[in-house]
Amino acid sequence: QLTSSSFLRIGQLSNVDLNEDIRELETELPRQHPNEIPHNEKLLSLKYESLDYDNSENQLFLEEERRINHTAFRTVEIKRWVICAMIGILTGLVACFIDIVVENLAGLKYRVVKGNIDKFTEKGGLSFSLLLWATLNASVVMVGSVIVAFIEPVAAGSGIPQIKCYLNGVKIPHVVRLKTLVIKVCGVILSVVGGLAVGKEGPMIHSGAVIAAGISQGRSTSLKRDFKIFEYFRRDTEKRDFVSAGAAAGVSAAFGAPVGGVLFSLEEGASFWNQFLTWRIFFASMISTFTLNSVLSVYHGNAWDLSSPGLINFGRFDNEKVGYTIQEIPIFIFMGVVGGILGALFNALNYWLTMFRIRYIHRPCLQVVEAMLVAAVTATVGFVMIYCSRDCQPIQGSSVAYPLQLFCADGEYNSMATAFFNTPEKSVVNLFHDPPGSYNPMTLGMFTLMYFFLACWTYGLTVSAGVFIPSLLIGAAWGRLFGISLSYLTKGSIWADPGKYALMGAAAQLGGIVRMTLSLTVIMMEATGNVTYGFPIMLVLMTAKIVGDYFVEGLYDMHIQLQSVPFLHWEAPVTSHSLTAREVMSTPVTCLRRIERVGTVVDILSDTSSNHNGFPVVESNPDATQVAGLRGLILRSQLIVLLKHKIFVERANLSLVQRRLKLKDFRDAYPRFPPIQSIHVSQDERECMIDLSEFMNPSPYTVPQEASLPRVFKLFRALGLRHLVVVDNRNEVVGMVTRKDLARYRLGKEGLEELSLAQT
Amino acid sequence: MAPLRCLLPLLPALAFALGPAAGEARRPLALEALGEAEELAEELWDAGLPGHLPELEPECRRLLAAFAEGSAALTGCMGHRARPVRLCQACHYHYRRLLAQYGNIARAVGNSSESHNCAKSILTSDRLQIVVTLSQFFNETWEAANCANCLKNNSEGLSNSTVEFLDLFNKSLTCFEQNVQGQTIYLSPNNYTEVCKNCNETYRMLNDLYNNLQRLNRQGGESGYSAHLCIDVEDAMNITRKLWSRTFNCSVPCSDTVPVIAVSSFILFLPIVFYLSSFLHSKQKKRILILPKRIQSNASLVNIQEKYS
Repeated sequence: QLTSSSFLRIGQLSNVDLNEDIRELETELPRQHPNEIPHNEKLLSLKYESLDYDNSENQLFLEEERRINHTAFRTVEIKRWVICAMIGILTGLVACFIDIVVENLAGLKYRVVKGNIDKFTEKGGLSFSLLLWATLNASVVMVGSVIVAFIEPVAAGSGIPQIKCYLNGVKIPHVVRLKTLVIKVCGVILSVVGGLAVGKEGPMIHSGAVIAAGISQGRSTSLKRDFKIFEYFRRDTEKRDFVSAGAAAGVSAAFGAPVGGVLFSLEEGASFWNQFLTWRIFFASMISTFTLNSVLSVYHGNAWDLSSPGLINFGRFDNEKVGYTIQEIPIFIFMGVVGGILGALFNALNYWLTMFRIRYIHRPCLQVVEAMLVAAVTATVGFVMIYCSRDCQPIQGSSVAYPLQLFCADGEYNSMATAFFNTPEKSVVNLFHDPPGSYNPMTLGMFTLMYFFLACWTYGLTVSAGVFIPSLLIGAAWGRLFGISLSYLTKGSIWADPGKYALMGAAAQLGGIVRMTLSLTVIMMEATGNVTYGFPIMLVLMTAKIVGDYFVEGLYDMHIQLQSVPFLHWEAPVTSHSLTAREVMSTPVTCLRRIERVGTVVDILSDTSSNHNGFPVVESNPDATQVAGLRGLILRSQLIVLLKHKIFVERANLSLVQRRLKLKDFRDAYPRFPPIQSIHVSQDERECMIDLSEFMNPSPYTVPQEASLPRVFKLFRALGLRHLVVVDNRNEVVGMVTRKDLARYRLGKEGLEELSLAQT
Repeated sequence: MAPLRCLLPLLPALAFALGPAAGEARRPLALEALGEAEELAEELWDAGLPGHLPELEPECRRLLAAFAEGSAALTGCMGHRARPVRLCQACHYHYRRLLAQYGNIARAVGNSSESHNCAKSILTSDRLQIVVTLSQFFNETWEAANCANCLKNNSEGLSNSTVEFLDLFNKSLTCFEQNVQGQTIYLSPNNYTEVCKNCNETYRMLNDLYNNLQRLNRQGGESGYSAHLCIDVEDAMNITRKLWSRTFNCSVPCSDTVPVIAVSSFILFLPIVFYLSSFLHSKQKKRILILPKRIQSNASLVNIQEKYS
């Protein structure tokens, strides 16, 4: 009954279904070559799997629970706290390491370049300085990009989208490995030293998460070392809790914002939390910022002073000049609007660029070349801006780390150089705190413009780097410009302190780009150390989010979508109540019988076309008349362990002394279960039978066919499920709902859209 | 007011006794007349305060007068040396003496009986505590000027490096003077080439010495915060630099704009080439669509379609 016009209107979204329709009409037509399309945002990748948050309550589990007595559970609780403390300490130490190395290497680079520029300013030949600067940047970034592109591509970017996905329940390959941590830390050091428009704060969150995942498992598969501790925590549910603590510790080390860190974890992974977990996360955050603080204060020579709580320190905002009055609130809200618009522009440009990168620049060597080019251009733009600027300011004390004189009179320095010839963190703090009159409006305007495009171009390169600091820097620059023009308009009123407006601009810009709400407000508030700023910062972030969401979504969500990750949002799309489980589910389902032939199991597992992970277990030997009701659910990983240990019915009868399989055997294999190809099953063994009843989860969650999509979605999201079996009224399996079946419905611009599955 | 008016002839002495604000105007009288002033002050006290109230021990009165005298001297010195700044060179003697005098007052606890100790009666017996305020003011100014930096460790006299710097500074000033002489000051700025040529060496030396001092200071300074040199040196250098680059316009750096533009436009051109070539030559990445296993009722299509219409 569908007219052709409606086909057109549905367009490419449902071309899968259309094709299938056609296939049904022309039955038995051999399937033509696979359908190839260019990458776009409306895809779901098969590469990503779900995490198993649902506990398999099989008999082994019950046995173990019976064996462990009450005190043992108390030890488990203490171990959790110990792990959280260790997460905090190690995250703080990693942050210190990054900070100290970046400070020294960047200092070395800027001293070399400054010496060179000073030398050539007198004699002529500044083009050599430019070449030196560009080459230094490009070569440092090359190293940073090579290790990311060739060794661990998942370490690229800030890592926040990846952690967000992980906490959402998506298993991103390699995301919490030790190798990733090493590459991430080295990569971020190299890209900051290489002078890219990036910060080292975002990657801290990823680093904290990796540390947490590593410690809580008590072993490293990368190093092939098992410390035989914390074995109880070797499953996805426990690991996720620790990862959220690690992410919080990372935020807290990056910004000196322990409460902000906790709220970040809640905001990103909030569907799974409870009071005790929150308290532990808070503990880890506090420990992390305290560790960073004490180590850095020892490093800076004033031990026990504890004055540097985070990697970025906004400095103190507590003198009377930076107070605000109620009349200024509308001005702040206006700045929020500007931030929202600029953030949306940033995201739109970056979207376009990322799409181009995914389609055309996918070879690692091209990615490295691109990163090098960006580094060279960043240096060039900085140099040209400094070269053309005639804005000279007297050197005052040591507030400028690397004053460049260039064409200024002796005893003065180039004001553009304070912004460009410095690490971005320092530039942000300078913009907040330099006294009024340190920058002229022309300098700030040019700087904002240039840095906006540079930062937008840089985000998404194959280097590990964050977007927090560049956003803050752009915002601080235009905010300061705004403050200066305001005080010009009001004939130099005392309340128009440019530093205050720089802070609000920074908040607006960051909010406009990343669209975080609660956690970002608290992070900014804690970083400034001034609680009274909470209200205006909240208003600014709110406005920026509202305005920005009107145009495009936030940067992280955008990148998640572009990576084709099956991400489940808070709620099902609002207009989807008419869809039922019957339409959503995949069918037919590959089921196993309770007592199954080994050969069948091996064949099913090694079938490459169907990479299923969970198999409903049905009653064995159903007659044609009898109903094959659902009995349980078994996972691929469990089957593999069973096959590996050869738990066959015949063998059990054969040797009475055979050791019974324990839950520990499953945990030891976690999280990297061997592939089915590595397990050898002889021809004789294929004829054996395997009894699954002891190992399957006897009570999987099920829904009837008539359940609506939002209902299924809610169950899935709240419980963190991986498989949801759809049964009919005779308890027969009719279908299976997985994450990808739910994630493919999305509320697009013109209503409900359906994404296609794709091999990537 | 009446008693004040009859005391008018005694005003100079009063001024001395009561402190530097009034004393500053009369200061030239001072130094050698210290003894006299003290006597006058005592007379004043005797005359003004009937009945020998035990307000201040004579010992304390003497200390106070000495302090007043010292602070007057220091204030005068600082005022006179404000521009061009010669604060540390000229006034360090006064400052040191004042410190000693204040120390005397503060330390004079055990000397007399407990009811009459000077520290208590001078420093803390009223709301204003003028002596403390004064001494604080001097200390803060001294700190801000960072004078300790160009004095010897025991603050007796200028340190060697400062002396060296000031010598060089005087030399370059002399050089400037000699070379500018004969030319009128109203000549256009370009005509100072003589100065630039002749004094270049001295100026360079001065500049290098200053930079050196600054570097040493930054290394030695505690945690890099007090990176200021003392105000005398800083100011001297500022004056010279301003003369050199603003008035004489001597530091004209070569601006080689053409090569810079060439190199930068080359570098800026590279990404365009890169993106164009990868757009044209790189094979676009294709995704292979997977057909999901689903019940093919038309219901879902209808459902979606309903939402469109």
